[in-house]
Parts: sequence; structure tokens; C-alpha cells
Amino acid sequence: MKKVLTTFIAAIIVVAGALAWYVTRKPASPFDTVAAASAPSADLIAEGKYVARTADCVACHSVPGGQPFAGGLKMGTPLGDIYTTNITPDPKDGIGAYTLADFDRAIRQGVAKDGHRLYPAMPYPSYSKMSDADIRALYAYFMHDVKPQAVANTPSAIPSPMNMRWPIALWNAAFAPSRPYSNVKAHDAEWNRGAYLVQGPGHCGSCHTPRGAAFNEKGMTQNSKLYLSGALLDGWYAPSLRSDPNTGLGRWTEADIYAFLKNGRNGHGVVFGSMLEAYNNSTQFLSDADLHAIAHYLKSLPGDPARDGAPFAYSDATMAQLTPAQRMSVPGAQIFAAKCSFCHKLDGKGQDPWIPPLAGATSSLVPDAASQINVVLNGSGRVMANGMPDSYRMPPYRAQLSDKEVAEVLTFVRKAWGNHGGPVDAKGVAALRARTDPASPQVIVLQMR
Amino acid sequence: MKDNDPVLMEDVAEGAPRNLSRRQFLVTSAGVASGALVIGMGIPLTPARAAGTDQMAPGTNVPAFLEIRPDNRVRLLSPFNEGGQGIFTGMAQIVGEELDADPESFIVENAPAGHDYLVVFGKMRITGGSLSTRSSYDTMRRLGALGRQMLLEAAAAQLNVAVDSLTTEPGQVVHTVSGQKIAYGDLAKAALDLPVPDPKSVKLKDPKDFRWIKQPFKRLDVPDKATGKAIYAMDCKVEGMLHAAVQHAPRLGLKPGDIRNLADVQAMKGVHSVHKLDGAVAVVAERFWVAKLGADALQVDWQEPTEAEKAKIRYMPADFSTEAFARHLTEAKGDGTEAESHGNIKTAFDGPGKVISATYHSQYVHHAQLEPASTLARFNADGTLDIWLPNQAPEQFQAQIAKVAGLKPEQVNVNSPLLGGFFGRHFLYPGANPYPQAVALAKAVGRPVKVIWTREQEFLRDPLRPMAAVRFRGALDASGMPVAIEAISATEGPSEALRGHNPKKVDSNAVEGLTGKAYAIPNRRIAQIYVKNPTSLAYWRSVGHSMNDFLYEGFLDEMADAGGKDPYDLRMTLLKGNARLTNLLKAVGDLSGGWKRGPFTAPDGTRRARGVAMASPFGSEAAAIAEVSIDPAGKVVVHDVWEAIDPGSIVNPALVKLQAMSAATLGVSQVLMEEVIYKTGEPEARNYDLYPILPPDRAPRIHVRIVESGAQMGGVGEPPLPAVPAAIGNAVSHLTGKRVRSMPLDKLTLAT
Amino acid sequence: MKLKINGHSVEVTSDPDTPLLWVIRDELGMTGTKFGCGLAQCGACSVMLDGKVARSCVTPLSSVGAAEVTTIEAVEADPVGQRVVEKWIAHQVPQCGYCQSGQVVAATALLKENPKPSRDDIAAAMVNLCRCGTYNRISDAMLDLAGLGTAKDGETL
Repeated sequence: MKKVLTTFIAAIIVVAGALAWYVTRKPASPFDTVAAASAPSADLIAEGKYVARTADCVACHSVPGGQPFAGGLKMGTPLGDIYTTNITPDPKDGIGAYTLADFDRAIRQGVAKDGHRLYPAMPYPSYSKMSDADIRALYAYFMHDVKPQAVANTPSAIPSPMNMRWPIALWNAAFAPSRPYSNVKAHDAEWNRGAYLVQGPGHCGSCHTPRGAAFNEKGMTQNSKLYLSGALLDGWYAPSLRSDPNTGLGRWTEADIYAFLKNGRNGHGVVFGSMLEAYNNSTQFLSDADLHAIAHYLKSLPGDPARDGAPFAYSDATMAQLTPAQRMSVPGAQIFAAKCSFCHKLDGKGQDPWIPPLAGATSSLVPDAASQINVVLNGSGRVMANGMPDSYRMPPYRAQLSDKEVAEVLTFVRKAWGNHGGPVDAKGVAALRARTDPASPQVIVLQMR
Repeated sequence: MKDNDPVLMEDVAEGAPRNLSRRQFLVTSAGVASGALVIGMGIPLTPARAAGTDQMAPGTNVPAFLEIRPDNRVRLLSPFNEGGQGIFTGMAQIVGEELDADPESFIVENAPAGHDYLVVFGKMRITGGSLSTRSSYDTMRRLGALGRQMLLEAAAAQLNVAVDSLTTEPGQVVHTVSGQKIAYGDLAKAALDLPVPDPKSVKLKDPKDFRWIKQPFKRLDVPDKATGKAIYAMDCKVEGMLHAAVQHAPRLGLKPGDIRNLADVQAMKGVHSVHKLDGAVAVVAERFWVAKLGADALQVDWQEPTEAEKAKIRYMPADFSTEAFARHLTEAKGDGTEAESHGNIKTAFDGPGKVISATYHSQYVHHAQLEPASTLARFNADGTLDIWLPNQAPEQFQAQIAKVAGLKPEQVNVNSPLLGGFFGRHFLYPGANPYPQAVALAKAVGRPVKVIWTREQEFLRDPLRPMAAVRFRGALDASGMPVAIEAISATEGPSEALRGHNPKKVDSNAVEGLTGKAYAIPNRRIAQIYVKNPTSLAYWRSVGHSMNDFLYEGFLDEMADAGGKDPYDLRMTLLKGNARLTNLLKAVGDLSGGWKRGPFTAPDGTRRARGVAMASPFGSEAAAIAEVSIDPAGKVVVHDVWEAIDPGSIVNPALVKLQAMSAATLGVSQVLMEEVIYKTGEPEARNYDLYPILPPDRAPRIHVRIVESGAQMGGVGEPPLPAVPAAIGNAVSHLTGKRVRSMPLDKLTLAT
Repeated sequence: MKLKINGHSVEVTSDPDTPLLWVIRDELGMTGTKFGCGLAQCGACSVMLDGKVARSCVTPLSSVGAAEVTTIEAVEADPVGQRVVEKWIAHQVPQCGYCQSGQVVAATALLKENPKPSRDDIAAAMVNLCRCGTYNRISDAMLDLAGLGTAKDGETL
């Protein structure tokens, strides 16, 4: 989850005007009267390190080639760029002076030690559900295992007065839950563990839940039908994680979900776009039990047939359009054959599990084609599973295909083999082309130490 | 750049070489036999015969070049390597002609390093500069004639008759009186044991008697290449060989520090070992794919060089971008160092006529030969080193490899397999050849090692054709005729990049194509402002001409437009009295069905226009016309290219045509789509995905006419390239009404 | 894993995600199939899987399954392939030759599927890259093979 902030600030400026004491006060923390252990156990630190993996802190607070957790990742917003901060225990540039309570307020309530409100690019609305135990462990890890780095923070480029932080407090009151996750009695421990990870540290909803006018996630739990029902964020469409057969996980088994999070791939797809970062830096490091719990929880979220439409059924009628004799006359078919088919194969079925199918792929069925446009223009980064890079990568085609050609080939793919994702127009391609860059062909590993 | 001391194109581009005396060319007594172990075919030459000797002039020691087998097949060791240009076939024709042996009976391989093979102007050896045939034509003919003479002498001894009673027919000696015939294969052993006659004693054929030279003889290498049997460096293998893959430093000059996951990669199944090299890390494995994954996986802490180190190397800073560098070149101040001057430019520009000016740009381009670089190295028990690598200059590589390996040059056996394209890629360029890696790894692991660069690693180290910004000024008289032209190029030439910049000198390779133009513009001045590049630079097919003729010929069209002249007619006028070039321009006009500039509507309804351009590269002359339209997406479509090429005289019209088509196609590719873009010190493209090369559906039909003016023989491999991008640019400018001043055209969105 | 290749059945030991290209080149020692890009961009690695063209650099060993692999080494054993090679020689198509194994394989696969391809069929199927600029002659050879005549006088070698 990166670059959450897009239209958010403009929206919240409007709701400004409440009481100043409210918006500048420091909220309470259960740790206000509790001192952290000065010499935490190795177990606690290890536990904290694991929590850092579940919360994927490194993905946003490190940059390739930079020091671990020293911040500096640029996040574009309509009002200007902001940069993630140094969260190493350096006393001056980092969070070395943070008490456990300060740390807790930052993670779960979005309030820095000096009282300023963090931009909700930091997913504290999700982290607010994290348990006291996890916060305590995470604090121990950051204070005692992460190396202090004297790397100064980069000031945000949002101009005054849009850079005022206090209105965020009002937004928090409206949209950020402020209570840790509590178990749902009707469900078993595995389900509850899965729910905790998904809603809390995993902050899956940051990308996968649609957002409202104030850029708030429309639903933070399974109680909302919109929770994890798919959303567009930063040029990628994060699909539904509910049991929608087309646009979600309806055709996936729990074992499929587990394999996807563990290995980065399964017969339905391979991680790409923002999920590549989540996989490379986070999900593959989770325990089998936790991954199974996540799969179990996600499979309990019902789909919405009204939104999802008729379930995908493979059709081989497309094959007739893909003979050399036919494909010059079907728009996009020749491009598909010449540029895509060698990997994804003429039948659209891919090469399980190394190269994903396009037939029946969620990205071919979701109405928003951003992910497919993005991956065609920019390719995908390297999947790093268990320390080893993938053998096959999706190349960027921005230098070879015009906006019109990308639109044509995707329109073809999105109605081939039974897909029904709907057409792509050249303007949408042009818009994404202008604000995205090709993925690096090099392996990028963000280090945690 | 002492370590690499290459022979530079600058030294040899035109006519006799300069400044060669200081270069050391090494004589080797090894070599011939070594190549046979893997890719040769068993060579019965004795070392004594194969040995080059200082006493004999290069290109005269017949047994070092020829072997004639009992079945009458002739094995020729060619001083020039085959990379698609057809030189093996051309050499067989030239030698076969004078030897009187059917070139079809020839088996041709690249010769090892050795004094005998320094046949380029009798002094050096490269496969490049479009030099092969023109620099060695007489020498190689004489070699064939010497061989024939030795066969005649052997036959005379065998038949006990006078030599002058004998003659030859293809493949055999004939005793005219008795009608007795002896096949060359039966004479070869005795013949090649004879001393080589005095080269002056043999008479070359009268060209009117040529049997094979000037014929469109079919290429000898085609059958193997159509069936996958041809062997490239990438394909070489020896017993016990390990494979290696590398990860290069992302920027030139960085050094490998700690490898974070060293133990993990060392523990990979099939991995033999992990190594730190100069500017790279390598994984050695039993199979290449394992090595490749391991090399990709290595998490290396790349270290910046010290300031002292930076001063000694080509260092790529982390903030380098081609966009900013293009601006930097444009802003370069001053009048530059003069390369060519004629008349009085100052008075001409101060005169009453019209003055126009414009700045043109050339871009970095990749060689992008389809075979990425590789090297196989094997140390032998006797202390010698066998090495297989793509190269355009075996003796130069031998000298450098010897230094790297700590051996004497004669201990290094250089094998030069077929080249999977070269276009200037395989000269000695610092950091751009894998041999130092292969040598270091073979030494470290005690087994033969083959290093293959993946496309990504190849593009990260491929040295580039330079960027330039050229400021043009032109003055026209009252009638619209050009009276003055000035071109000041801000750039670094490839030769000064390799040898070091001499502030008093212009790199002729930086300005060729701005200089040497034949147009009778009375006042002209061509100059260079030296601007150092942080990238490695290289020769790229037709070198300076590949960019400069595009720039010059474009501005010439601007002058034509400003003066209200048709560009074809203007060129004809400016070449008045130059019979060779007016003939050539007329030839290309005729070939295209008569000059018509357009725009016009083609039968398929598209709006089209034509452009014309000329170039004088590498001792030859070329003129091209291109017809273009703009497709609905705003991209240029090149429909046809017509090109007339005059290399003076030729050996094989089929080869000339083939090379003209090849060079023209590369010209189309460069002008339409090629550009290396750097951002933050790294090239954005690491493969053909982001550096597309011309695909078949954008290739025009190319029509070639060969004109033999009888002038001194010029080059063929490169000369047909430079006029083509210029003709396309001029056609596009005219069709769109918008002046094209940079490449590639795909960057522009155009409309008619 | 068993691999059916050029009429033989062989046992191979490479990992299942290894590209078929490197199984052919390294493990089986057949070097006619070329490595150009490793990214399905150039086509130098083209082989046939059950007679259909495939780019072996992006074909994981595990997805070959029971398909019969045909490489350039066995192209002449096929009568269609033999004709392609003949015309490739007649039209003097190759230059450096590095892409030509792939070009010949692609041509053979097309003609096996459709012995009389149209110009459009040829353009649709012959998409491999060549850096030497042999495209005109590839086109000439293909038109000849398709029975669509040879190029106009003066345009072939």
C-alpha cells in the first residue's frame, strides 16, 4: 500500500473549523503510564520483527538502495509530493526519542510525538486495530533491532495553507476507528486471526476497499458489503478479495489464496503492480498458519452477483480469430499474437504457474482496466520468492505500442476466451502513460537491516 | 585508455593509415591449431608452416592461409571475420580467382592472431571501417596467385616439365601439350612445402579475364546459417566447462562491496561459486540458467569510487540524464576547434543575403546486435590460454587478453567464431567486453568458463554512438543559392573517447559527414566543441556519418526551402562539374522512377512525400530517396527506399546489394525508433522491450542500384547507411511542414 | 522429466521453471536455437511445439508436457522445413545468421499450418526481429514458398 493520498486533503479542508483543542490535543494511549522494557527479550524483538512484516513497514519507509527504514519514498498527491519519514531509532532524524506511548499514538492514531497529525497515507486507520501486544513488540523491534540512521526527513512539497495538518484530526474522528480488533464470537480462532491480519496490520483495505468522497475507506470490516470489494488506487485496480467469481476470489480455493501469498503465484495469476511489493516485502514472510488464516477469512466474505455479473466461462471461439489468416482483420488480435501470445499462449491460458492466464483473469474481468493498461505500458517488477528472482517477467510495451494499439490489444483480450471486462479507450491509456514509469527489470529487495 | 590501446577508426577511415608505427602488432607462432580443438575441423598444418614470420610481408605466407585437401576442397583462413557482410565469400572469390579454384570449393574460417594476417594496408588487421576488401584486394589476389604458382611449380617437378609449359583450369594444373591434368588436391602437400615465391614475380589476372570476381556469387555461409549449424561465440563449448553469468554495476565506475545474500546464492543447487569482479559480480554454475538466476539474485552493496579513482576512469554520476545532457550540449559555448574551412565564412555571413540557423541533435544508440557478448576461456596445462570471443580485431584482443591473464601474447590463442552481428560492437572497448571476466573466472575456478551476458547486462555495458548538438548557420545569396554554411558540433568523438582527448585536435570521427561534403558551397566552416560524455562511446555502423549526414542533409534541405529551391535540383546544381556524384544522383532519381518530391496521394489513398540525401562515407558515395507517409497514430511509415551506391569498383554485386539493404534498414531503424535514454545515471532500456529495433512490419522495400564509376575502391558495409535517415527526415519534414531536427522520429507526434 | 524432442525421448533434469531454450542449449547441447533477448522480444529462440511456433526462452520446461519439440536441427527432416531451407538458400536470406534459425522455424510452422498463406498471413506470422535487415529477402522467400511469385525483377539478389 503506497501513495494512498490523492484527493484527500482537498476534501478535508472543507470540513475544517472545529474546536482547536480537539484538533491539536494528543489522544490518550494505553501505554501512557506504562514504560517499555529497557532490555526487551530476543523473543519480543523477533515477534516485533514479524509484526513489521505483517504491517509491511519497509515497503513505504525504505527506498531501493537506501538505508532500512530511513524513509524518503516519494508519494505524489494532487497538492504536492510528500515523503515517508525516517522511522529508525535515530534520536534526531528518526523516532529514537519516542516513548512506547508516542510510538503507539503514531501507529494507531496517526499523531506524531510533537502532536502533528500524520497524513493518512500512513494506514493508521487500519493499524488502529492492532493489538497492544503487537504494538509493544513492534516498538521493541524498532528501538532495539533497527539501526539508527542519521538521514534527515524530506519536507513535503505541499504549499501553505494546504499543508496544515490539524483538519486531519477531524477526518480521523469521522473515519478512523480507534479501537483494537476484538474477536467475533461467531467465528473460530483461525477466522479471527485472519480478520485481524487483514483488517489490522495487513491493511489490505487500503488498496482493496473503495473510498468515499473524503477518501475514507467505505467499510473497515466484513460488516460492510463494500469492504475489500475492489478499488482503483494510484494507477492500479486492486480487485475484490470477496467471493466474486469474476472480479474477486470466487473461483479461488483457500489453497489458491495461500499459494498466491506464499509463492507469489498460482494457476489464476502472478502478483504484479502494487501487490508485487506487498508480496516481495510482506506476505511471503508470514507463517503458514497466518496465511491459511487470511485465506480462511477472505473466503468467508460473500460476493455480490449484482456487481460481479455472470460468472466467467471459457470459450474457445476466440481461437478462430487468432489464425494467421484471421488476425490481421480483428483489431488487436495481431498485436496479441505477435507481442503477448508467446508467453500467455494463443489460448489465453498462460503457463501455469509461471506465466499467468489472461483468460478468466480478474484483471480481464474487472470493469476498470487500469491494471492491465499499466502492466502493458510498464511491465512488472521482479517477483522475489524465497530470495530467488522469477524466471519470467512481464516486459513494458510503452516504447512499442501506441495508445491506440494498447487500447486495441486490451479490448481484444478483455473480450476473448469468454472474458467480459469491457473495452479500453486510447485516452485512458494516454492518461496512465503520462503519469507512470516502466518497472525496473532489476531485482529490488528492500532490506530490514 | 592505455590498457586498451585500440586501433582507432580515425587512423584508418580513409586511405592509408596514420600513426600506426607506435602500435605493436604481435606475432604468434601458435594459434592456427588451437582453434580446431572445438570448432575447427582438424588442421594438418604443421606449426612451422602456420608460424608467421617477420621476414615475410603480411598476406604472402601462403601456407598460413591455405590448405588444399585431397578432395580438392580449399580451406582459407580469412584475415577478416564474417558477421553477415559476406566477407568469407568475397575472400574466396578474390583468392579463388587468382588461385584458379572455384570459390564454391572453399571452406573459410577466421584466421588466428598473427603477423601474417595484418593485411589491412599491409600493416594491421580489423574487420571494420568498411575496409576489408578495399584494403586487401591486391594482397589477397596476390596470395591466390602465389598459391597457384606454387602448385604449378610442384606439378612441374612431379611431371618433370618446365613450369611455363603448364597452366591451370579451375582446381587443376594442366600440361598444355600432353593434356595431362593433376588435381590441386594431389599437389597440395608438395606445393605447400615449397618456398613462397617472390610476390613481385607473380602476375595478376587482367580483370577482363575474371571468372568469379564481379559475379553475384552465392554466399558460402548461407546453408549453415539456414540450418542452425553456424557456430557463434555463444555456442562454443569445451570439455569440463562451467557457465557464468554476471550482474554489472548499475553505473560505470561503481565497485562491488558486500554481497548480502552471498551464502544463500552459494548454496543454490548447481552453483559452483560466486565472485567479485571489476565492476561486476559473477555466479559460476554447471548450467547457465542457474548462473543467471544466481547473478540476478545477488544483493550487492555497490560502492562509489574515490575521487582519485573517478579521475582515472569513465564514471557515470547518479544524476546523469540524456535529457539534461542534450541541453548541456546545446548550450556549449564558443566556435569550436576547426575541422574544415573553405573561403571566408565571416564575409559571407555579413553579406546582404538571407541567413538561417538551426540546432540539430543526434541521440545515443545501441549496437543491439542480436548475439549478446560472450567469452569462453580455458587455461591449458602448458600455460597457454585458449579463448573464444566475438571480435573485430584478433591481434588487439590477444595483446590485451595477455595483459589481463599475465601471459605473453603468443601464449594466448584467440579464436574468432562467426559474429552474430557486430556493427562496431566488437572492438576493444574498456569495460564493454566480457573477456576480462572470463579470464578471471577461469583462473579462479581452475576450469574453462564461458561467460554469457544476458541482454540486460549487454545493454548495461554496450558502448554507445555519441550524442551531439550541431549548430548550423547558412547564408543564401539573392537568388537563393547557398553561399556559406557553418556547422559547430558539440560532442565527443568515439576515437578521442577511447584514446583520450587532444585539445588541439578535432576527432575526425566526431565530425565526418559534416566534413567532406562535396557540395560547392564556397564558404564553409566545420568545427567541434569537445564535451565529455560520462557513457562509454563506440563506433556504430558508419560512425560519425551515421548521425552527421542526417544533420547536414537536413539543414541543406532547410537552405533549399529558404531559397525556394527544390532539394534534388539544388544538390544537382551544387554538384555541377562533379561527374561521379551527378551521375549517382541521377541514378537514384531514375531508380525511383524520376524525382518527385510531392506531397502526392498514393493509390492507397495515403498522402506521401519523398526526400533525398547524399553521403560520402568510407571512400564510397551514396545517394538515397525515401518515400514516407504518416499513419493515423502519427507515426512515420517508410514505404520505399531507393539507393544508388558507388564504391568505385566491386567484387560481388550480390554482396554489395545485400550490404546496401542491410545498412539502409539499420538507417531506417535508427531514424524511426532508436534512442538510449538515461535517467538517474542508468539506461532505462535493458532489452528490446524499451529499446525496440525495426520490426518486419515497419521495414520498407529497399531498391539498390550499384554504380561502378571506376574510382578507387571504397567501402561497402557502412556507406549505404548515412543517406537513408537523412532522406527519410527530409521526406517527413516536407510532408508535415514541420522541420525534423532530431532522431528518433517516433518521439514526435506527426500529422500531414 | 521426459522431453520429446526431434523424434527422440530424452530425460532432462533441469528445474521445471527453466526456460526450454536453456534445456536445449545447455543440457542437450544443441546450439542451433539462439539466445537473443530472453524476453520473447526477438524470436531467435523459436522452436516448434507440436508443429506450432513457440519462443523457447519463455517456455518453462514444465509447460512442454507431452508436446513434441522440434528445433532447427530437425527442420530439414520435415519436408516443409526442407523446402523452407532450400528457398532460404535460393533467396540468400541470412546475413549474420543469428536470427535465422528462428526465422526458418517460424516459416516452417506457418507453412505446416497453411501451405498457401496469403501476404497478410505471412506478415502476421513472420514477426521475428532481424538486425541485419534481411526482411525484404525473408518476404521474397516466403512469397516464393507460398506460390505468390517472386519479387519484381531487380529486387532479389
